[in-house]
Amino acid sequence: MIAAVENVHKRLGKVQALRGVSLDVREGELLALLGPNGAGKTTLVSLLVGLRAPDRGKVRLAGGDPRQPATRRVLGLTPQATGFPPALRVREVVELVRAHYSHPQPTDALLDRFGLGELAARNVQALSGGQARRLAVALAFAGNPRLAVLDEPTTGLDVESRRALWREIERFKQEGGTVLLTTHYLEEAEALADRVAVMNRGRVVSEGSPEAIKRRVGLKRVRFRAAERPELAGVERYEREGDLHTFWTADADALVRRIAEQGVAFADLEVLPISLEEAFLAVLDGEVQA
Amino acid sequence: MKLWMAHTKAELLALLRTPGFLIPTMLFPSMFFLMFAAPNLPSTAAANFATGSFMTFAVFTVTFFQFGVGTANERENPWSSFVRTLPASPLYRNAAKVTTAAVLALLAALVLVLASAASTPLDLPLARWPRIFLALAAGGVMMGMLGTALAYLVTPKAALPLANLIYLPLAFIGGMWMPPELLPKIVQEISPYLPSRQWMELVWPAVGDGSWDVGHWLAVAGFTVAFAALAGWAQRRDEAVR
Repeated sequence: MIAAVENVHKRLGKVQALRGVSLDVREGELLALLGPNGAGKTTLVSLLVGLRAPDRGKVRLAGGDPRQPATRRVLGLTPQATGFPPALRVREVVELVRAHYSHPQPTDALLDRFGLGELAARNVQALSGGQARRLAVALAFAGNPRLAVLDEPTTGLDVESRRALWREIERFKQEGGTVLLTTHYLEEAEALADRVAVMNRGRVVSEGSPEAIKRRVGLKRVRFRAAERPELAGVERYEREGDLHTFWTADADALVRRIAEQGVAFADLEVLPISLEEAFLAVLDGEVQA
Repeated sequence: MKLWMAHTKAELLALLRTPGFLIPTMLFPSMFFLMFAAPNLPSTAAANFATGSFMTFAVFTVTFFQFGVGTANERENPWSSFVRTLPASPLYRNAAKVTTAAVLALLAALVLVLASAASTPLDLPLARWPRIFLALAAGGVMMGMLGTALAYLVTPKAALPLANLIYLPLAFIGGMWMPPELLPKIVQEISPYLPSRQWMELVWPAVGDGSWDVGHWLAVAGFTVAFAALAGWAQRRDEAVR
């Protein structure tokens, strides 16, 4: 286990940001932290990287206290892309960060991997949004960390740059690195994560593999083409696009049997898992009702 | 050492590339000196005295704004919280800031001495410089602490106007622009209670080869401790909220 929080509480001003969070980050995994704005993801990350101390509970990083600078040698973090130091160049920012680690990545190799090789002499203020994002993610890997904490790494990136970053994250993992990722993009968690923790209102409300979270919600989609919407029992949700009908159901087998029994004239029948996004919304809905 | 150098390099590079801040800060005290003080300095004693006052003003400008407005800007910039997650004690970064301010303050004071040497009968023997340096440094630390306290006490947007509001009266009433006996009567009465005036009372004997009065050293030390305590308190309060 490379990082862990245990029954952590944290109040920020008037807001109780964390109310008893326990979570492990295991060596070699990619854990995605999901949740709506204000769920407490950023506060939790700030405790793990040593920016804040918890009011109650324990925070451990590589067996030590992340408030101690020496403990943070295992850590690499993305800064917010809006906040580079003024008037420095890309190479200078990378070198400033590298100076803090004993076995950092070579600057040029790092810049090349993130498509920044030709921008090395560019002033950071002159980078485009996407370039600044790539630099921010590159900085998390600059020190060859054991744990990379990527806070919203691909927000505002086009599809191609996002895929390129995903490849770098995958590569880091294959070399044995651990990743803690916060993201708004469920697609991203679904593509990269070994495990997902869903946070809401200062608590972890669900935790497991992306598949397990989807299973926990227990719905599947049954989709086919037909001229008319057939009347079917056991349907949780329904959507229609032209002649394409989609039914959400807890028991796809029973629903398909019923479709056949009723003699519905269907074509292109498919049974699909629900997306993580739908599962995530369902988990949060359950939390609101509880 | 490596980290201190790395942070100092970053700070200095950033400054060199923002001449809009650097050049006015360097030149403003000297310009002021040349326009208002230099024409009325017939004797070496008067020239030494005024040069001491304006050197102090130059160091004051650099340290107070560098730590006041600089720190306030950093509070707004998420980069400083990223740097706090790097595996290094904040001491390195603070040492780099002090180094940067010291380099700037020395440059500003040097520009002023050159301006004075070219326009007045200035004569400061080398033997006086260690005491001058010591007096300037002591007050620079005090004003750096005051700037830091201000930066954490008010919102980042309010820091610059408020800094100006404090800085100009402190300089004027403290006697940095004209000898205290030429100040208006009411101002003369307030002056000894200000940290800027206590600082001047260290610099004037150093340029005039007089002896130091321990009381003024104690006053400067007292103000420094008070400002440092205020800065520390305000910084912790700020951290608890964010």
